[in-house]
Order: sequence, then C-alpha cells, then structure tokens
Amino acid sequence: MQVWDGVSDSRISFDWASASGLAPKQPVHQSTIAYMIENLNLTTALLSRLSELDSKLFISAPTRVSSIELGQETETLDLRSWPTVTLDNGRQLAARLLIGADGANSPVRTFAGIPSRGWDYGRHGVVASLRLEGPGWGGEEHKIAYQRFLPTGPVAMLPLPGNMATLVWSTVPERAARLKSLKEEDFVAMVNAAFRLSPVDLEYLHTIAEGQKEEVEWREQHTPVDEQKIPMRAVGAQAGSVANFPLKMRHADTYTGERVALVGDAAHTVHPLAGQGLNQGQADAAALVRVIETAVSQGSDIGSQLALEAYTSERWQANNALLGAVDKLHKLYSFGSGPIVPVRSWGLSAVNAIGPLKGWFMRQAAGT
Amino acid sequence: MASLRPLRTTSVLRTLPHSIKPSPYLCRPLTTTPNLHHNTTVDPSEVTHFNALASTCYLDVGCGGGIFAESAARLKNTASVTAIDPSPEVLSVAVAHAKRDPGLVSMMGEGRLEYLNTSIEELPRPGTEGGRQYDVVTLFEVLEHVTHPAPFLEHLLPFVKPGGWLVLSTIARTWTSWLTTKVVAEEVVGIVPRGTHDWNKYINEGELREWFAKKEGWGNMRAMGVVYVPGLGWREVPGSEGLGNYFFGVRKEGMEDERESWGKGGYTLESRWNFSNRV
Repeated sequence: MQVWDGVSDSRISFDWASASGLAPKQPVHQSTIAYMIENLNLTTALLSRLSELDSKLFISAPTRVSSIELGQETETLDLRSWPTVTLDNGRQLAARLLIGADGANSPVRTFAGIPSRGWDYGRHGVVASLRLEGPGWGGEEHKIAYQRFLPTGPVAMLPLPGNMATLVWSTVPERAARLKSLKEEDFVAMVNAAFRLSPVDLEYLHTIAEGQKEEVEWREQHTPVDEQKIPMRAVGAQAGSVANFPLKMRHADTYTGERVALVGDAAHTVHPLAGQGLNQGQADAAALVRVIETAVSQGSDIGSQLALEAYTSERWQANNALLGAVDKLHKLYSFGSGPIVPVRSWGLSAVNAIGPLKGWFMRQAAGT
Repeated sequence: MASLRPLRTTSVLRTLPHSIKPSPYLCRPLTTTPNLHHNTTVDPSEVTHFNALASTCYLDVGCGGGIFAESAARLKNTASVTAIDPSPEVLSVAVAHAKRDPGLVSMMGEGRLEYLNTSIEELPRPGTEGGRQYDVVTLFEVLEHVTHPAPFLEHLLPFVKPGGWLVLSTIARTWTSWLTTKVVAEEVVGIVPRGTHDWNKYINEGELREWFAKKEGWGNMRAMGVVYVPGLGWREVPGSEGLGNYFFGVRKEGMEDERESWGKGGYTLESRWNFSNRV
C-alpha cells in the first residue's frame, strides 16, 4: 500500500518487508496486508453459508420494509415490546430481536428512537470501476493500493482482479458534481491527473466544463513523476459505475434498545479514507453473535436489554476511538498550506522510517 | 436484596459438579424432534442424543417475577419448570411477564412451565397424591425473609430427588451486607422499599454448612460469593460468600452406581450446558 501527501509529496509505503520488528512472524502471504473483496462475492459466500445452517431461515428478497411498529396485546400474548415489521408484500414479522443492519439512514434506528450524532464533512465520495493499462506494477499476484492526500480529500485507487481497480475520490460537492458530468475520456484524464498533477493544476482542471483530456496531457509533460510509485494509468471507466455520495461522521448514542440492535453503518458512519467501515461492521456482527450465544446458553431472552447491553459495551468504545482517529486524519490532511504541512510530512516520513511503528499501523489497518 | 440488576442465576448451575439423572417416570421428556435438513452442519445424532438429555425438572420456590423460571424454561435440556410463590400479586406479575414471550406461552400451554400460587407448605408433598420430586430445587433470595429458616428448609428437602440439588442464594449477616442492603439499598439509593430486609434474619454460609453437615444424605456443599461491581454488574468474587451475597448448592445423595455411570459417561450438567451452546 502506497500513501502520500499531495502537497509535499512525502510518502509512506506499507509492506511487511519494511515493517520490521512487530510484523507477524509468518504472514500467510508475505506481502498481503489487506484484502479487497467485492460485495457480490461477500454476499454470495454469506448466502451459501446460511443455506448450510438452520432450516428455519426465512429470506424475503427482493423486498422493502414498509413500516415498523410495536406489536399488540391479546388475551394470551403481550407483544407490545416486539417490533413488528411490515414488508411491502404485505407480510408481517414480529421480532424477538430486530437487528438494524440497514445503513446510515437506518429506519430501525429511527424506530428505536436512538439518536445518532456527528457532522457532515462537506465532501462527497466519488466512486467508479476503472480499467487500467495493466494489472498493476506488482503484477497479477502482488496488487498494490494507492492513496494520495489532496487538500480537498484523499483519492484512492484500490486493486481488483485483472486490469480493474476501484476509485474512491473524496472531494468537495461541486467538484464531485463536475467529475460526474464529464465524458468518459475527460473523467479518466482527471483520475490520472489526481495521482500526478499538483493541487493547483487540479483546481484549474475542475473549473473547465470539458477538454480535460488535452489539458492534462499538456500539463503532464511539465510534471515529472515516478510512474512506478503511482497507480498505472486508467484507460477507461465502466459505464454507469461513476457515482457519488455525501461523506459524514455519525455515531449512535447506543447500539441497543428493547428488542433492537444496530450494526454497521446503522450504528456508525465513518470517513472512507482508512477503509475501515466494513471491518467495523464485521466486528460488530461477530460481537453481537457472541452476546446472543451467551444469552441463549443462559436461557435469557435474546431481545432483552439485559442480554444485549454487553454488545454495546464491547463495541461502542472501540468504534468511537476509530471514528475519532479517522476524523482527525481527515482534518490533518485538509490543510493545503501553512505550518501543518511540514509537520504532517515529517510525521509520515518518520512513521515510514520506523519499522515497528509502521508495523503497528499496518496491524491496526489489517485488523489483526 | 439489593438487586440493582438481576443475577444471571442460570450460569450458577453450570458450576454444579455432578450430573442429574434424567428420570422418565417423574419428568415428561421432550418429544419434539428438530426439523433437520440435509445441508446442516449439525450432526443429527448429536441432536437426538441431546434431546434425550432434555430432562431436568426444576422447582423454583419463591419465584417472584419469574426471572429464573423463565431462563430455566428456555434452556434446551429442561423438561419442566414449576415456579411457586404464595403472593398472588407477585405471581400475576410473573405470568404477565411470561406472556411477552410466545415461546414461554406455548411452554405454559404444554405444562413445561407452570406458575402456581402456593407456598411450599401447601404444595403436595412427594409421596402424597399429586406430589413429586425435582432434579433441581431453587430458592433464590427467599431465605433472608424467612423467620424460621430451619423448619422451612426441612420442609423443602423432600422435594429434591435423590442425586438432585438444592440451589439457593441469600445474604450473609455481616457489616458489609448491613451497609449495602439496609443503608444503601433502602435509605440512600432507595431501590427497595424501607423495611424490605431484616438484617437479623440473614444467614451466614457457615451456618448453612453446619446445618447441612448434620443432615443425613446431604453433601457436596459448595458456595459462590458474588459482588455487585458498579458498571460491570454482578461478578463472582471467590471468598466473598463470607461478605454478603452468595449462592449455595447442596446435593442429595443418590444411588452410588447411578452417579458413577453418569460420571464415567461424561454427562455432567456442565457438559450438557456446553451442548446447548453448540446446538
């Protein structure tokens, strides 16, 4: 993984070979620090695992939730604490435990009345699936991720199989809108420029409505770069894959209510610059499973607050610390000039030079 | 007692060292067969085997709101739970709470969980008509309210099946328990009404040991002290049975051969709990 400062060009190179000391003694693959897994593959694997498990599993898809309300009391049953979910196909489900894994605007969180606090970054994430001129400088077997910190936000190129890569470009909303409006050849030129040209050049390129391709070609002649240290050139963007979404920091006050538990983005939304959102969600799911297993082994009602509170106490602090660290990183790199720039550049170079410290950061990122 | 949060009493039962012999004559074994699929990773023979073990019968004396009775009823190796309380108000709270869980409602329909508005003195004694014995008799947070504990316990003992357990929790009569249950709980925090506890009725763990040591056919006594740690909840603290709240378990001797065969087979109560974790 290669990360560098777009203003000062100071750089950090994350690979186990240079992270001596505290790196794992025998990593499975000598150079692997993280995996990129496409959502489709994750979903497919999860579904096939589910099909091996309990026969009582009921999946309703594709379907939408129309409403969530508390149940009723009858002569024999008191479901007033049970969330009752009505699906758009009319089916009603009463839940002993309703798990909100329903994203940043979680209807389950709203239903439970759990406040979520934070702020908007005033940035949008522009994502796209790109075709590169080759499989990357490390070849098919050694994929490298790249991230350059620009004053408007980081731009990242994350490897996929073959010649494909994923772009995640955090930038101000006006520039995101401009990028999305460009023709494919101009968009691709802008992506290549984002990893190569200076912030001043990039600022200008966003002001013109079209013709970025020619502008970038001309400017690149005057901007020497070491091509081996930056991602291979993009040659195309997959049609329809360019999208943007607002970046926010949000954290729910608690992850549990009576018969409700929140996981993933429903519980917390993080800036994508450290790529930790999915990892956090998976850690939430694992912790919730442990809490439910304990409750079942003790005969507790798995929907009761008493049984669920251990989940909040296990995950809330850990997520809060990570949300805070990522938020500070975002702020640190949003300075385009001034005294912060040399200090952060020195910091990045220092971490790069100190193997054990770098190893620590890498293990945090890898979640090991 | 100063129960800021209920104790997870079912976890206490895991610490019981010996097995409880399932007895098909006194307990109705579960007949439901799990709906198995071909694609399951659960070994079907394990499940069948496990169901055969679902045979522990509980009697919860002074069940209150039913917090233990509900938990015990949900355990997969439970055949039946009989929960009794002499107070009709308290019992109606327990029944209303169980109505919140359709699983418990169906157990009540099947008789697997039953709430009876009676005292132990009025419950038909074993050997008389309608009387029966139980694998585990529980007496949580009751003894400290009883004026004459010895005759009360005496009355309780015949309800335990040979080889079964009496498990109770209560409070030791110490200066710490006076401070926590009388001063803090009743006066400072006010979580229980004033006069709930009579410190003079508290029974020390040593006194229980002494009493049971003189009882023919009772042994295997063990105690577990628990302390409420603010922010963490109730925690086991070895040695704290001499300080305040504690659990106490004592076993009624059964037939020696039975106990040994079960011990060798490895079907301890503990291993059965692990079963329920896995399934």
